[in-house]
Amino acid sequence: MSAENHKLMMELRDVSLSFHSARRTYDHGQHHVLNEVSLKVYEGETLGIIGRNGVGKTTMLRIMAGILAPNSGEIRIAPGKTASLLTLGLGFRDELSGRDNALLAAMLQGSSRKEAAAFLEEIKAFSELEDSFELPVKNYSAGMRARLGFTTALMTHVDILLVDEVLSVGDAQFRGKAQAAMKERITGDQTVVFVSHMADQVKSLCNRVIWLEDGRIFQQGDAVEVVDAYQLRISQAQRQGLQEHQEKLSKQNLKA
Amino acid sequence: MPFLQFYRLADVMARMALRADATRFFLGYVWWVLEPLLYVAVLYVVFSVILSNPQPDFLYFLMTGKLAYTWFAKSVTQASNSIVAGKGLVGKVNVPKTLFPLASVQEGLYKQVAVFALLFGVLIFGAYPVTGIWLYLVPIVLVNYIMILACAFLGATLVCIVRDFSPLISLGMIFIMFTSGIFWDVRDLGDPDKTAMVLAVNPLAFMFDAYRQVLMYGRPPDMLHLLAIGIGFGILLWLIVWAMRRNSQYLALKALTA
Repeated sequence: MSAENHKLMMELRDVSLSFHSARRTYDHGQHHVLNEVSLKVYEGETLGIIGRNGVGKTTMLRIMAGILAPNSGEIRIAPGKTASLLTLGLGFRDELSGRDNALLAAMLQGSSRKEAAAFLEEIKAFSELEDSFELPVKNYSAGMRARLGFTTALMTHVDILLVDEVLSVGDAQFRGKAQAAMKERITGDQTVVFVSHMADQVKSLCNRVIWLEDGRIFQQGDAVEVVDAYQLRISQAQRQGLQEHQEKLSKQNLKA
Repeated sequence: MPFLQFYRLADVMARMALRADATRFFLGYVWWVLEPLLYVAVLYVVFSVILSNPQPDFLYFLMTGKLAYTWFAKSVTQASNSIVAGKGLVGKVNVPKTLFPLASVQEGLYKQVAVFALLFGVLIFGAYPVTGIWLYLVPIVLVNYIMILACAFLGATLVCIVRDFSPLISLGMIFIMFTSGIFWDVRDLGDPDKTAMVLAVNPLAFMFDAYRQVLMYGRPPDMLHLLAIGIGFGILLWLIVWAMRRNSQYLALKALTA
């Protein structure tokens, strides 16, 4: 069944966002991040968004999550539905224990204190942190932090889940478990918008893919088709870059 | 987000921040009272020992004014930078931006409970007995809290939009310290009209004086004046909360990009 046969969950119409960064920043001036982007997200589908760094993928997710507002265009979300970013280690403080950080992160993700407290044992069990759950996070290894961050993030319950590159977390042992849990979530009834650089992951998880280039939709459609076209473009650009670099080196050698 | 859930989240953020801060130092929670006491000690040495201030019971006079001022100044200064300091969160989760200054103000409130407990203890020990007049502290502290919230939210909004407001606010706090009768008595200016003018123009001078009237001199504050300040800052608070909620995404963009 195609995604279009499902209920429309979210629609972006001609969404544009530009901003002026402060003078003291290294890239001060006017930035056009998104330029008249239109797309639809359907119930239960996993929509992938690919593109080079800085083309506006994260900004688009922030607009979908309601964190930022576009300068022009409109966003429509189905009545009563919610969308939020899946974020690892939301609001984590090094001096606090895993338990305190998990409580705070769950509340920041929209849970009440009672609901967040109820999640804690579940988080402790899934993350396999055992007694370390009561220790300050500053004593954790990178792998342990990732376990805690991922498990807490997994507790987010929203209608449209916006995922920004979080499927590769933790040590090898936990990574398999985390990816399986995430895949189960994504391939289930959950509506997901998924941003990733990992082509194989996008192909295997997404029903449709949108390729963003310079703040505009460059191509959209079947996941395999769009990702293959994107990879081809990337490899062509890399070859061209390498060739230009070699030519530059040759000229420098001749001059010397 | 329902108001109760929002308030509990700010409260948990404040408690967690206090717990995290306490673990950073050997003396931990003792710093809550030690820091303001050190400020009082420095001012006492300067104004009483070196400059021979003639104010009777100057230590109690200074402590009452300075500890109330410190609550206001530290809460507002810290809250003013709270949205910018929390931009990591601002970019990841769509929460009302009032959450950040509110959590900062709650942090200050919890610290102030310990500071007030110490102040009351020192006053009682220094022959200022507890009387029924002390009940007037309830409306005074409430109005003081509303003032702090209004100024904190306004400061947080301004700093988020233009970062230059941050040093201006810090400078403003020093100005307030010198002009609000912390180490001089607003009722001892030699001209009743001047006293009335200072109390009318500077609501903080009125508040610090109100604490002293109740705690040291056993006199109730001018309740009408207190009510007027409470209503004025209450309206200001309501307007800022309304503006912050209405412009939440604009503030997020400014926090992330300005």
